[in-house]
Amino acid sequence: MRAWRKAWLDVTEAQIIAALLGFIDRGEASEAAFEEMALAVFAYQFAHNQPYRRFAIQRGRTPLTVRRWRDIPAVPITAFKDLTLSCTPPEEAQAVFMTSGTTQGGIRGKSHHPTLAVWDRSMLVNFRNRFMQQRERIAMGILFPDEAALPNSSLAHYLALAKRECGTSDSAGFIGPDGLDIPRLIAALERAEASGEPYALLGASFSFVHLLDALAAAGRRFALPEGSRILDTGGFKGQSREMGADAFYDALSVALGVPRAACINMYGMTELSTQFYDDGNAIYPPVKSGPHWIRSRVVDPVTGHDLPEGATGVLLHHDLAHFNCVSAILTEDAGIIVEGGFKLLGRVDGADSKGCSLAVAAFLKAARG
Amino acid sequence: MIERAGHLPGLAAAEVAWLQLDFAAWGESVQVSMPVLTEEQARALAAHIRENARAYLKTLPVAQIVTTIDKAIARLLDRDDPWRRKAEAILPIVTGYDRETVRLGLSGYLRTFRAPQLQRFLAEDFVNPGILDVFQPAMKGGFSRAHGPELLLHIWAGNVPGLSLWSLISGLLVKAGTVGKVASGEPLLAGWFSQILAEIDPKLGECLAIVWWKGGDTESDEVWLNEADTIVAYGGNEALAAIRERVPVTTRFLPHGHKIGFGLVSRAALDTRKAGPLTRLVAHDVMRYEQQGCYSPQMLFVERGGKVSPREFAELVSGELARFARTHPRRALSVAEAAGVAAWRAAEEMRAFDGGGRAVLGDAGDPWSVVCVEASEALAPSGLNRTLKIVAVDSLDAVVPLVAPFRAFLQSAAVAAAPEELFRVAALLGEAGVTRICAFGRMTAPEAGWHNDGRFNLLDLVTITEIEQAAELAAEGFAAYVD
Repeated sequence: MRAWRKAWLDVTEAQIIAALLGFIDRGEASEAAFEEMALAVFAYQFAHNQPYRRFAIQRGRTPLTVRRWRDIPAVPITAFKDLTLSCTPPEEAQAVFMTSGTTQGGIRGKSHHPTLAVWDRSMLVNFRNRFMQQRERIAMGILFPDEAALPNSSLAHYLALAKRECGTSDSAGFIGPDGLDIPRLIAALERAEASGEPYALLGASFSFVHLLDALAAAGRRFALPEGSRILDTGGFKGQSREMGADAFYDALSVALGVPRAACINMYGMTELSTQFYDDGNAIYPPVKSGPHWIRSRVVDPVTGHDLPEGATGVLLHHDLAHFNCVSAILTEDAGIIVEGGFKLLGRVDGADSKGCSLAVAAFLKAARG
Repeated sequence: MIERAGHLPGLAAAEVAWLQLDFAAWGESVQVSMPVLTEEQARALAAHIRENARAYLKTLPVAQIVTTIDKAIARLLDRDDPWRRKAEAILPIVTGYDRETVRLGLSGYLRTFRAPQLQRFLAEDFVNPGILDVFQPAMKGGFSRAHGPELLLHIWAGNVPGLSLWSLISGLLVKAGTVGKVASGEPLLAGWFSQILAEIDPKLGECLAIVWWKGGDTESDEVWLNEADTIVAYGGNEALAAIRERVPVTTRFLPHGHKIGFGLVSRAALDTRKAGPLTRLVAHDVMRYEQQGCYSPQMLFVERGGKVSPREFAELVSGELARFARTHPRRALSVAEAAGVAAWRAAEEMRAFDGGGRAVLGDAGDPWSVVCVEASEALAPSGLNRTLKIVAVDSLDAVVPLVAPFRAFLQSAAVAAAPEELFRVAALLGEAGVTRICAFGRMTAPEAGWHNDGRFNLLDLVTITEIEQAAELAAEGFAAYVD
């Protein structure tokens, strides 16, 4: 076993890509199969990603000592802001996805992708399964800027891929240089309503708020045909007014005639190559889950130990598809493991102090002014 | 266990709505009922306090108030007293601090409010504390008298046990009708103290109230902010700004924002004999109240060139924190707090990869973290809850530019240095905005009569009425005995 694992140290990028594409295509994976692949990917990352290697050594976790996928050291998500975590020279990357930089003083976390083959396969297999639900294609309206406008946005790429591979020829984007093109979008919604064919609206959560506000201002409501669905992602990020989840999905369902059960929230991040979905938001918070090549844990952030099912902790995602960077990511999201997946409970960005000492979050806020 | 928070003279418990808060720590739980007043009740309570203070508290000589407070404090210091026993039993569950920390912290803190200390406290702010009782001759001529506010509102924050007593007692010393809003993190001690005062002097008990309302309850905010003449508020700058926005312009507003404490260690203190005991004191300051106090150290600047290097000093502090972890276990952290600690430590680990000069001591799972940095680094908060950064510097003078940009957040600095250096560095730190220089081991226990945030805590509360000399002389002209 050790000799076999050691062999992964010499594995080429082409081999690991081929292995991962095969793994994604196999449809399911047992705990043992996931573990085997995870240890292989860890060995590859340990061999080729120098900062991660140093991190793993500091934590005393190397391919020679780690036997279980749960022991593979997880990198805190903020590390992507400080370090270049890439197995290949970053300048040779086909794509560099960056965070929006809204959360930490404008510093943007980066994920380098020498190829998007694995990212795209991961996205599409999962998207077809969770959002398309047996349909080959659907007419899509995209409420997010395109890839030309945002070349480093993983979400722009995600939506472009969805539109190209799963959208009909009637699909279109509705965010231009001047923001949401309301007249054109209303026209598209009118056509969709009249066509009787299901329609899908996909985009950033805050763009939906802009849409809701515009429709309310115009006094418009739609009843999109049965089978229509909505995909929102990313929250409001200060780009729109904040809305509670229940108010948000209620408003969507009233304004567009799409039941809350067909309003799917995608939970993804730049620092992953795989997304999570729920099966609609009839009840909030819904259960989120991902495909067989990503597994999630809820841990105590200090010890890194798994918490029992039902306990609130910090989410840790282990995404095999994120092979060029680091697969095990400790997020800043609070969560709880439940049957069939996890519930997402919002961000934990460090508590304010319980006394009168100044805490980091308040200090950063003051420093930004 | 059910405990009732607050002190509401003139209101029967049955008339008031109560909201239950649940606390659990150290394997025990306690339910605390918090009073929720209607707008009408709040206004009636404000009027009750104002009237009783006018009729009684303001007529008491300050020496008698000191005596009454002294008696109440004596009961809280007496470990056999039922109030004290209750405090020792319940506060660890409510705040999460371990029993020893609460016990030692309470005793150390309460000692600063006995009669001699209160007299010192008065003397710090008033050359002649009699000015609070009757007109006193003024140096410039004429007479002066100091009046406390009719209704003083305290808005407390945080879970450090008894922090509320500081401003509560200040208000009583200047004879203010007093209303205190407790924090959800430690809602009990202020109410207990008020009830003890009421047991000792029932009429005094009618002159102060302890209330609570939920954060974001703007209606209650509105009522109380408008009723008060003077408001003392603790909290983060955001919370304080939100309060200030709604305080009437004619009301005196005294905010106490969050602060970062730090320490300086001169090479004079870094020989092998002195460093050991010193690191124990440093660790004590870090451990006590889990760095939640504004006076708690979050960063240490250690001079190079001593027999013990900054790195060795850091190792020693780390060892002492390991010992404290056994005798005074860290309180259980919330998910957000744990994430804060983990994020701080992880960020330091990441930066340690960028090159030498940074060491993260201990394991990630340890209930404390010490980071040692060789390059000079500006003051910044740690992850709190026993996380400390130790920065090596070439001289203590080099620390001044590292802290000066953060004037608004400065308050306490511990200094370990020889007398001459202590005074020289203290002068520089004072210019930068530090208001309290203390010894290690005493960071979380300010001495009696200290000037919190560098202000005159009693003087800031009062207004002075002056009888000008001319008025006095003119009065002579109207006397019956005038020739």
